[in-house]
Amino acid sequence: MDNLLIAATERSPEVTFDSAAGTLRIKGESYPEDASQVFGPIFNVLQDYLGQADGKGLKVDFELIYFNSSSAKALMNMFQMLENAADVDIEVNWQFMADDETMKEFGEDFSEDLEHVTFNLVPVS
Amino acid sequence: MLAKQFRAFKSTLDERGIIFSFSGYLSEGILYSLGDALRQKMALEDTDVTTIKKVFSVFVEQSQNIIRYSAEKVQGKLEKAVELSSGMVTIGSENGQFFIVCGNTILEEDMAKLKNRLETLRAMAPDEIKAYYKEQLREPPDEGSRGATIGLIEIARRASAPIEFDFDRIDSERHFFCLKVSI
Repeated sequence: MDNLLIAATERSPEVTFDSAAGTLRIKGESYPEDASQVFGPIFNVLQDYLGQADGKGLKVDFELIYFNSSSAKALMNMFQMLENAADVDIEVNWQFMADDETMKEFGEDFSEDLEHVTFNLVPVS
Repeated sequence: MLAKQFRAFKSTLDERGIIFSFSGYLSEGILYSLGDALRQKMALEDTDVTTIKKVFSVFVEQSQNIIRYSAEKVQGKLEKAVELSSGMVTIGSENGQFFIVCGNTILEEDMAKLKNRLETLRAMAPDEIKAYYKEQLREPPDEGSRGATIGLIEIARRASAPIEFDFDRIDSERHFFCLKVSI
């Protein structure tokens, strides 16, 4: 199964997906002109992984500093995809700087509809 | 004469508390560079993290709206396809608050829809804007809007006071559109 290793650019995050370990990490900032360029490859590997996880779980670490509204929309789609994968054990860690109200609020917004996914708000200083 | 003329121009900007103002063809590269300078300037002045985030977010959404929707564009092919959109972005501070103003040309046919969206947002209380944002985040995008609905709600959500906007008619087909957000 495919792994992903995409370096950060000025306006897009670093993405690391390890299918053997079952981990995905998205780190940095996301405000590209076209959010699908950033999130399209992530959706593709996730779809493959979740479709044939075979009892394996998935851990997703978000270490985002800022993202624009079209990236927020893509993130919401990603959470819906995770929530729909009911047979995979999924844990999300939403990291944010402890004094950053905006990122904390986004974490709260995203976690609201989740029942099957374990969502942890992780303040860091 | 030259220095006098441009000093007067700069003084007018300074008197209005303008930190920087960009007018002309805007690209994603310019957006990145201006945004970076804006964040550094606010950080140097010990602005709190949440305020920096809000100002930066409104700046990005407003600039990307110009890039996507300005009716005044030049397109062509250099080494790759290039599209530049004309508009204005101004950031300043007044009465202890930051403000961001964007301006660009829009077509007559797009005005009613935009005006309607902005009037709806202006009339909403902060809690209502937050709920509307959450609702729109879960909706598929409108046809042809390229994410405009959620972008405008994001702008209204970060504002500390109701958004201000106006349209100035250029001719029978075009208006100059302005949106001011205070944080």
